[in-house]
Amino acid sequence: MSTPAVPSLLVAKQPAWSRYVFISLAGHVGVVVAALIFSKIFDAPPLDLSQKPIHASLVRLGTPREKDLLPRKEEPPPPPPKAAEAPPAPTPPPPEKTVAVPSLKPAPPVQKTSGAKSGDPDRKKLFSAFNTLSKSAGKDDPEGALDGDRNGDAAKAEGERYYGLLKARVQQYYDLPNTLSDQEKLRLKAAVHIFIGRTGQLLKVKADSSSGNALFDQAVLTATKRASPFPPPPETLQRQLESGGVVLAFTPSGS
Amino acid sequence: VKTSSVYALLLSLVSLPALATGQAPVIEISGANFRAVPVAYPVPSSEAARPFTAEFDAALNFDLTASGLFQVLDRKGFTAKADEGMGAASINFSRWQDVGAEMLVKANLVPDGDQVRGELRLFNVVGAKEDFRTERAVPARDARRLAHFLADALYRNLTHEPPPFSTHLAFVKKVGQQGKDVFLSDWDGKNALLVSQGGINLLPTVLPSGEGVAFTSYKRGKPEIFSQRPGGAANPLVAVGQMTTGAAFSPDGKRLAFSVADGEGAQIWVSSAEGSGARAITDTNYFINSSPAWSPDGKRLAFVSNRGGSPQVYVMNADGTGVKRLSFQGNYNQTPAWSPRGDVIAFTARDERNAFDIFTINVTSGKVNRLTQDQGNNEEPTFSPNGRLLIFTSTRRGPSELYVMTVDGNNQLPLPVERGDYTTPDWGR
Repeated sequence: MSTPAVPSLLVAKQPAWSRYVFISLAGHVGVVVAALIFSKIFDAPPLDLSQKPIHASLVRLGTPREKDLLPRKEEPPPPPPKAAEAPPAPTPPPPEKTVAVPSLKPAPPVQKTSGAKSGDPDRKKLFSAFNTLSKSAGKDDPEGALDGDRNGDAAKAEGERYYGLLKARVQQYYDLPNTLSDQEKLRLKAAVHIFIGRTGQLLKVKADSSSGNALFDQAVLTATKRASPFPPPPETLQRQLESGGVVLAFTPSGS
Repeated sequence: VKTSSVYALLLSLVSLPALATGQAPVIEISGANFRAVPVAYPVPSSEAARPFTAEFDAALNFDLTASGLFQVLDRKGFTAKADEGMGAASINFSRWQDVGAEMLVKANLVPDGDQVRGELRLFNVVGAKEDFRTERAVPARDARRLAHFLADALYRNLTHEPPPFSTHLAFVKKVGQQGKDVFLSDWDGKNALLVSQGGINLLPTVLPSGEGVAFTSYKRGKPEIFSQRPGGAANPLVAVGQMTTGAAFSPDGKRLAFSVADGEGAQIWVSSAEGSGARAITDTNYFINSSPAWSPDGKRLAFVSNRGGSPQVYVMNADGTGVKRLSFQGNYNQTPAWSPRGDVIAFTARDERNAFDIFTINVTSGKVNRLTQDQGNNEEPTFSPNGRLLIFTSTRRGPSELYVMTVDGNNQLPLPVERGDYTTPDWGR
């Protein structure tokens, strides 16, 4: 039988073929090993594709409002320009012990000037005493829960408290121009990925996805940067926020 | 081929761990603080006569201020030269940036025969460029109208929505000791023309054409609905039963809804716009059904009824079927106005402190939002035809006066009209 011709061809090809197999195998092994090593180093949380966005809110300290009463406004509208009105009493200083919890609404200009004047601690104490007195009168008690936060902005608690704080903090600086059309208010979406240090400092911020509208993208980045430093994260979240970060997904209006 | 496969391998080596660490919790942030854009609007450069410029300037300034889009900056702080001109090349943008302006609005008035030609330009201060320009000529007596035209063009350019400044307002003003007269004016209450002539006249509605008013009058003894143009004669529109009050035209202008009271209760009726074919669409004897307000698609009506014990806002189909109670908070809710956008109904409610204030209620969710608070009594909201603004009456300065605000309750401003006792505004086309 004549066998020599075909096998010799195979033999001639074998080295090239086996080299590809080897490279491929080595590559796959490399990928798996690298993935294992990197995931150990960065200690990333397990991949969960069905992960839902976090809804977090910070509940306010106060008594719940009766359901059949009409709602009260969070902030009274600014008085008409010429009407002379007594300035509101300044808010009491936050207690020494609390962690840097941000105030959730930007202070109205009137409060800023009065705050600048009342420098001495005695006067502050006096005002805060008045404030507590008027609160104990019951008429102006804000709605909320009995174990709520003084600076809370929601009537019900939801989700991880720190994320609620974070959200409230960013929302405080989340300004958009009123000239956006209704269409844009519905359509625009942008996300930024931020990394937060142990003391709450902003380590890194990067645009995760763009809305296609430069004004909106800019507003979102500005809000994030102006909101920092953030409240210091609790120990359980420190690692996550430092290395994995957190994504802030922005849309203009919300329900 | 070999090198590219090696690159692909290297790439996957780098990107896979990155994917693993990229897994971060997502926090949704919405509910932005919609901020009025700081805009500088200097005195218009003008070759037109002084009274004209002053009127034009006042009207344009108020349109910009009330629009809710802008925070109009105080002119006292302006440092730019008054004669810097209308071109982006000659404007010193850094001076406008210094005073905090993000946008700059410039107007120029030039006499043109017996007309005046007005030009308006919008500049992006940060980008130092012109974004928009428009111009228009009007008869020399129409200074305010020219301002409204230009403001409308600017508004449309920015929001891509129908602008509100060339529309009309009807209202009742107290005259003398007992008289109440109906007026038809520009949107801001200026150029008010007397419509009714003497007696007691109530609840005006701007006609679908915008050229006249339908209102309730006691001129023939009992309350009936008339329509009238300024300077024209009163035409009886509808008179059914003992008391016919509160006309409301459907958005297409073809139908009229009103309230008819007898000794025991009041029902909602619907007729053609001319008053023919009137028939009752509610039928709850001994209860009051009043203040009908059309939905923007003309298929439904909001109204007030006390059938549940206290006056509350209800909605129903325009043929009277499918009645549903909408408001459940508060025990005295009245004067509903359906937003031309369809989503909310504004109404007046008395709260637990016995103050009357304006609220909106979401038609689908029933969520109530408060717009006014702690500033006198605020009543009788009426939407701008584009649904962005509300005009209402307020007693915060004493007598009942006309105010405007945005639909979220911000930017509450008195209309620039003479002091007086104003009630029941209706904002129409």
